[in-house]
Amino acid sequence: MSSTVRTFDPVELEILWQSLISTVNEQARALQRAAFSPIVREAGDLANAVFDRRGRMVAQAVTGTPGHINSLALGAAAMLEEYPVDSLVPGDVLITNDPYKTAGQLLDVTVLVPAWRTPATGGQPRLIALFGSTIHHTDVGGYGIGAGGRDCFEEGLWIPICKLMAGDGTGGSERNGDVWKFILSNVRQPDHMAGDLHAQMASGEVGAQRLATLCDAHGLDDIEDLADEIIERSEAATRATISALDAGTHDASAVLDLADGSTVDIVCSMTVDPDAGEIVVDYEGSSDASPWGINVVRNYTHAYTTFTVRSVLNPDIPNNHGSLAPIRMRAPEGSVVHAVPPQPGTARHVVGMFLPNALLKALAQVKPDGAMAEGAGAVWTMQVNGHHDDGTPFITAMFTYAGGVGARASKPGLDACSYPTGVSAVPIEVVEASAPVRFLQKALRPGSGGAGAQPGGLGQVIEFEVDTARPWQLNAVTSRLTEPPQGIFGGEPGASGSFHVNGEPVTTQTRITLQPGDSVRLELPGGGGYGEP
Amino acid sequence: MADWRLAVDIGGTFTDVVLLDATSGRVVVDKTLTTPEAPLEGVRAGVTALLAKAGVAPPDITAPIVHATTLITNSLITGRTGRAGLVTTTGFGDTLLIRDEHRYDMYDLQIEFPDPPIGRDLTFEVDERTSATGEVLVEPADADLDRLCSELAAAGVESVAVCLLNSYVNPANEQAVASRLRRDLGVPVCISAEISPQIREYPRMITAACNAATMPVIGPYLDELQKWLSAEGFGGSVLMMLSNGGVVSADDAARGPIRLVESGPAAGALAGKWYADRLGSGRLLCFDMGGTTAKACLVTDGEPALTNTFEVARIYRFKKGSGFPVSVPSVDLVEIGAGGGSLARLDRFGLLKVGPESAGADPGPASYGRGGTTAAVTDADVVLGLLDPDAFLGGDMPLDGDAATAAVATTADGLGLPVIDTAAGISEVVDQNMAAAARMHGVEQGVDLRGVTILAFGGAGPVHACGVADLLESDTIIFPPNASVLSAFGTLVSPVRIDLARSMPRLLGSVDGAERDRLLEELRGEGRRVLLAAGVPEAEVRFRYGLDARYSGQGNEITVWLGSGESWPASDTEVVEAFEAEYRRIYGMTIPDVEIEAVTWRLSAYAEEAAVTPEVVAGVAGGTAEPASHRPAVFHRGADPLVVPVYRRQDLGVGAAFAGPAIVEERETTTVIRAGWRTEVAPDGSLVATRDD
Repeated sequence: MSSTVRTFDPVELEILWQSLISTVNEQARALQRAAFSPIVREAGDLANAVFDRRGRMVAQAVTGTPGHINSLALGAAAMLEEYPVDSLVPGDVLITNDPYKTAGQLLDVTVLVPAWRTPATGGQPRLIALFGSTIHHTDVGGYGIGAGGRDCFEEGLWIPICKLMAGDGTGGSERNGDVWKFILSNVRQPDHMAGDLHAQMASGEVGAQRLATLCDAHGLDDIEDLADEIIERSEAATRATISALDAGTHDASAVLDLADGSTVDIVCSMTVDPDAGEIVVDYEGSSDASPWGINVVRNYTHAYTTFTVRSVLNPDIPNNHGSLAPIRMRAPEGSVVHAVPPQPGTARHVVGMFLPNALLKALAQVKPDGAMAEGAGAVWTMQVNGHHDDGTPFITAMFTYAGGVGARASKPGLDACSYPTGVSAVPIEVVEASAPVRFLQKALRPGSGGAGAQPGGLGQVIEFEVDTARPWQLNAVTSRLTEPPQGIFGGEPGASGSFHVNGEPVTTQTRITLQPGDSVRLELPGGGGYGEP
Repeated sequence: MADWRLAVDIGGTFTDVVLLDATSGRVVVDKTLTTPEAPLEGVRAGVTALLAKAGVAPPDITAPIVHATTLITNSLITGRTGRAGLVTTTGFGDTLLIRDEHRYDMYDLQIEFPDPPIGRDLTFEVDERTSATGEVLVEPADADLDRLCSELAAAGVESVAVCLLNSYVNPANEQAVASRLRRDLGVPVCISAEISPQIREYPRMITAACNAATMPVIGPYLDELQKWLSAEGFGGSVLMMLSNGGVVSADDAARGPIRLVESGPAAGALAGKWYADRLGSGRLLCFDMGGTTAKACLVTDGEPALTNTFEVARIYRFKKGSGFPVSVPSVDLVEIGAGGGSLARLDRFGLLKVGPESAGADPGPASYGRGGTTAAVTDADVVLGLLDPDAFLGGDMPLDGDAATAAVATTADGLGLPVIDTAAGISEVVDQNMAAAARMHGVEQGVDLRGVTILAFGGAGPVHACGVADLLESDTIIFPPNASVLSAFGTLVSPVRIDLARSMPRLLGSVDGAERDRLLEELRGEGRRVLLAAGVPEAEVRFRYGLDARYSGQGNEITVWLGSGESWPASDTEVVEAFEAEYRRIYGMTIPDVEIEAVTWRLSAYAEEAAVTPEVVAGVAGGTAEPASHRPAVFHRGADPLVVPVYRRQDLGVGAAFAGPAIVEERETTTVIRAGWRTEVAPDGSLVATRDD
């Protein structure tokens, strides 16, 4: 171990920093291409990042969803608490889907692949970094996709933090056989699960190889000093941005309504402390946890909170441990924004992706030109299953649709575009190829954007049927059916959504059984307007 | 007896023309400004001047004229496309506006998307449906087609794209609609199943729409060009260069212009391949810096990498995702907004940025004296003394050195830096941008670029190659003769090739050999037709076979090439071995116990030999390096001006050698050699710079 601190001139730091970001981007691209899970390969529902020995996120791939990425930032640290870096040997790979320690739903499986390096002075290989990935797997048994599971045990298989692969002490690596048996015996599509775990490990290997090349080129034994530079500079820049704001506390709230008529209040209080260069967001007053699986774990609330603040204040600073540190968050335990075991949360994105709607209002008071009106909130998720006429079962992957985004200070809201996530819609043709679903329309919804100096984005209308002679099931998670997205600074609200089967509104959050010939119609909300029309 | 071949390459700023005598290997080149409003004018001016220079008459040119162009890309970037109509399945007319619902930058709340090339007002729906298994559920009704024809006619469309759901499995409905529209409208019509036969409605539709929108751009141009050529008495037909390095006839190109979207860069990659072959260099980075953009393309094991998607017209800070994701086979390259015309500006932190905004051909950099006042990279190069204003284009287009200085001075005021440091800063920033993009391109291909040989071309490439090579830790730079027109040259030295593909998804174990052979026989027929039309003797036509395959259940395929011959060359076992080897190369592992699915069958039809195998330029014998003059130039920020030797390229004989820093001038470009590099003239006339040990 070197005792002197390695320093970097501005050009070298720039090159190394950009190279680390390129490395995780490459890792993400390899993972997305090799994935079996359709939501990963079609919608990019994944996160990749590299961590230093201290478990701090140094660089993340520019992909995926804020919920995954920033949850991975905290999840990796939790995994290393259980398996400290010095306890790991070459060949070890860690895995978990613990929702309360990672991304808040069992379908999101995190894999951590250590990178090893022999110092220039010789000696034993030393762990210098960990390449992490979280992807949304196709199935983990249990209830499946949707909000209907009554606790986390009903929702699916819980994989505690454990070794997926175990080093044999001589550099080789073997499957941790019992772990694989347990996993593959408890999921509905074991071949896809195995393929995606392989893909996650392979993408980690890609990252480790690239990092080795980078260290060779720049004569680095590890990345600790580099990580310090990156993290300290990012943190200082973030604090400087916050220090330029006025001190104060700003309260905001937003109301989310669900298909069963229930509502969720998101209440937040944002305190700007320019002297400390910190922002604290407190969700005291938000609704208690729901009996449905829409509860958000602390990591995920933290993820959307930091994401929202950074997108308004300093989107140009790369995301890492340092740029996240000055944004702190408090959420009452047992509330809908801080679920505790065994509160269910498979559909936690419904609330999680809605969080920015409240927080953006608070941010608009400190930085009106960077803020945005309320939008449709979470993408609506669908999954269809049933039987072909010959009796063989079919099940689609989860497919998602976005409503309108809120208007911006100097630009209209985006039509039918995901926010706050970056996920893509699964193409209609891909859904139809996987199951006998037949779409009748997918069109923009005229008049659904709220009027304003800048109008909100349009929602969309989607209609589909299933070509089957037997009853079939629909697992739909919708939101904002009565409370429309609000405008800001005098802008008018967008249109609220609607969810109908055969013209009748659906009033439940759980899976419903439908008959041949039944027609589903979704009208997604439009975004709110910005400024008086 | 001379056997003259002609190639034309219309770039964003310049139109390049090249004549090559297949008998002697003599090459004559010229370069004129592109005339975007009427591209034929530039071509006519360039070709006329070139023929006069070479003493060649049009009837002497009997071989096909190979033509590359950025007309398609530029018309999509500028939005100057034709008035095209779009026909979709009822209920899906908003597909181009909804896109894939993806936010390409999660953190930036201000992102924008380009307006589609065909607006909603020119999009019409038709009642029809094909299932995902290819069954036609609803045929378009006559009455509906009547209505469609009258609506499209009333809208005054010049071309139409038809893109219907699931047409990638069964194009019958698209064909039915198209044949009716062709009959009744009399405008060109394209269908998505032919332009981009792949699952996923948005990429297929945007590709078809970009195609239709550019048909009215390319069609009239090619008609005019062919009329002019035949009026002048040229003997050869026109072959258009495709994005993947293959060629098609002018008529085929007019039907599928989107396949020309990366035509010029593909030609440049062919030149790179030719040099890599000659040098026996397994790995070579083509570095092409023109007036508007710079492109880097890696040639590995003698072949440029190919990709099936290419994003054109990125409107928001050149960001990935802010353009149109057209899916056509293309040479895989990275392109960034960095060229001689790239403009300097200060960002909101007061930092110096260069590009992606460009002065283009009109008004061009300030030094062009056409009204530009913002400093461009070329202006900085003039201020640094790297370019001689009086020698630009051999003195035919003198630059205004005072205007260049005035423009750079404006930027310098904003930065609070001396003019000379600002000019050096502009040069350094643009070099950094290009090196970073090239490095990313290498990373994406899993290739470490250090030590890679760089082939420098394009009008500004030889000026900046040394700076980029220093950043990339490259050891060798090749400055080929005629570097400024190398893309056009590349089309002349490459064997004619056409790539064809057709989807027939089957688990590998259940492929019916007879069915596969029928499909390949059709592809061979089409390939043979195109090659014969391009003047390739039948005995020289060759076929190579490939397959796009994946593990069943995956969403992306990888391409494996399996061999050549008159029939499918590989057993199932060989296919599995080739697939697993390629999968392991990319992902570092294979997946046990999952079946392999064959998706798309590929055929590459090619001529065995290039029509021309020139010795390029016969070098001047007995070379010594005698400078024609000396002038002061600045190579690094903060460095004092050095008085350096300036050589004339035509004076440098084979074997001549000199050390950097030095400048080499020729009519079309200037080569800048930095300190630390030693240069020698190779037998083919290339300058080869190697790093001092």
